Amino acid sequence: MTKILKKRHRKEKWFRRMGLISLALALLFLGVIFGDIFYKGYPAFLRTEIFVDSGRNDLLNPHAPYHFNKGIQWIIASDDVDMYMKHGHQGKLSQNQIQVLENLKKKDQIRLTFNWGFFTHSDSREPELAGIWGSLWGSLLTLIVTCLTAFPLGIGTALYLEEFAPKNRLTYLIEANINNLAAVPSIIFGLLGLVFFIHFMHLPRPSAVVGGLTLGLMSLPVIVVATRAALSSVPSSLKEAALGLGATPLQVLFHHVVPYALPGIMTGVILSFARALGETAPLLMIGMVAFIATPPSSFLDPATVLPVQIFNWSRSPELGFIENTSGAIIILLVMISFFNGIAILIRKKFES
Amino acid sequence: MTLKINVNHLNLFYGNKQALFDVSLGFPEFQTTALIGPSGCGKSSFLRCLNRMNDIIPNAHVDGQVLLDDKDIYAPSVDVVELRTHVGMVFQKPNPFPRSIYENVAYGPRIHSLFKSKADLDQIVEKSLVRAGLWEEVKDRLYQPATRLSGGQQQRLCIARAIAVNPEVILMDEPCSALDPIATAKVEELIDELRERFTIVIVTHNLQQAARVSQQTAFFHSGYLVEAGETGALFTIPQDARTQGYITGRYG
Repeated sequence: MTKILKKRHRKEKWFRRMGLISLALALLFLGVIFGDIFYKGYPAFLRTEIFVDSGRNDLLNPHAPYHFNKGIQWIIASDDVDMYMKHGHQGKLSQNQIQVLENLKKKDQIRLTFNWGFFTHSDSREPELAGIWGSLWGSLLTLIVTCLTAFPLGIGTALYLEEFAPKNRLTYLIEANINNLAAVPSIIFGLLGLVFFIHFMHLPRPSAVVGGLTLGLMSLPVIVVATRAALSSVPSSLKEAALGLGATPLQVLFHHVVPYALPGIMTGVILSFARALGETAPLLMIGMVAFIATPPSSFLDPATVLPVQIFNWSRSPELGFIENTSGAIIILLVMISFFNGIAILIRKKFES
Repeated sequence: MTLKINVNHLNLFYGNKQALFDVSLGFPEFQTTALIGPSGCGKSSFLRCLNRMNDIIPNAHVDGQVLLDDKDIYAPSVDVVELRTHVGMVFQKPNPFPRSIYENVAYGPRIHSLFKSKADLDQIVEKSLVRAGLWEEVKDRLYQPATRLSGGQQQRLCIARAIAVNPEVILMDEPCSALDPIATAKVEELIDELRERFTIVIVTHNLQQAARVSQQTAFFHSGYLVEAGETGALFTIPQDARTQGYITGRYG
């Protein structure tokens, strides 16, 4: 008896140890990934500027001539200079140019400052001028379309299926298919968007409205499943209490069921929102991968979104774009963590 | 003695399965009727026929007559929402809404617009809580969440909530099965007081409780109404062998 008991305790100890080991491994990988991204990405938030009177236009960015005579004191340097200042890479710089740079350093006519342009510029062929402003706008417009279409449709579908629909073979079939759709790869939704919204409905090609609708299609099943799970967790005793008092089914739904299920619904909605924010593949299918240097001013303008911007930059050979890629990943991660944090807060607030 | 509810030849089906067989029973006004019987005998199903709570169960089907004040509650012209303002219900497990005590009681009057002003509503809430014997315990914390009350208090709150819409009949589905003996005693006392204004139907597993609170008792077995009559008579000289077996504890 004591022997068996010892064995049982030993097994439990082992199980716990295994759990701890896997947790530690997961944290290690997470740490390595984040560490790598931050290490590579933080220089993207800095840029090299050269004093306007240096007289060496070959060290400035290709667009610098447009900035002369506008009273600007410091001009953004070219990406080769930027790389030399940040990492000491010589790149395409000649010995003479490096000499000049060292002299400028001594005269304090070259400096590293915070890269505001990374947030206020749109995409550019020049890494030192490229920024995320345009793609942030694209993401915002796209997600507005997603919110306006997927959330009311998804929540409405879930409410109807869970509370009003008769339970028969047809609704069972619909339910099973919604669950399957939630597991369909997102690129398939991109194909659907391409065929339906662009080829069939002739909506303008790389626009926020097409992207938003496509992401909306992708989010719909997830929202329906999450909302239904939240609704079905409402105790039936609560519904019976209200029905017994003479509330109509609609009153039961909106006075009792929805408020009770709201934290769950909100969590599902925000998580699917965060997923839509980070989604890339379906947008590649509908052509949002195009190079877009101006922020979209309407839902029909050509637009790109932050994750696609990251994808675009990651394919560029310039060293400056590697930094930009990691920098944009940091911004995207911060935004997604922010939304997930909101989801947690809502859950906590309603639980208490 | 007038009959508040009169049930004639009621049959209840869940899909193809018949749960109640040809039940006929009258409920005298301002009296408490206890429905007793072993688990699964159909007494709760029968209770739920009286305010059409079975409507929410898919493919539940009723035939026969349930007359409330001589009007058939299953007639197509009857609005089930209105019916439930006349026939209130208290459930097995206390199920207050996750809101304040005040809002729990005020909910019924609110959805049926039974008041003219806030003062009016305050009065309804107070009166209902007084009648449910809960006022003294909660008058200083009306705006606290109802879920913080004890189980017995929650159940009396549910009773207050039911009487706030001023029903004529109150159905109680084993209202004390989740309560301790002291809370049970309070609820039983309350049932006895409520009888002055309401007709009460109570389902119970507890035979002593049926004997204590009811004037009429009906014994159900496997979907059949075996025997019904004045409570004292049913417990002392049961007519049917099954009734005798049940009340003497031979099965159940």
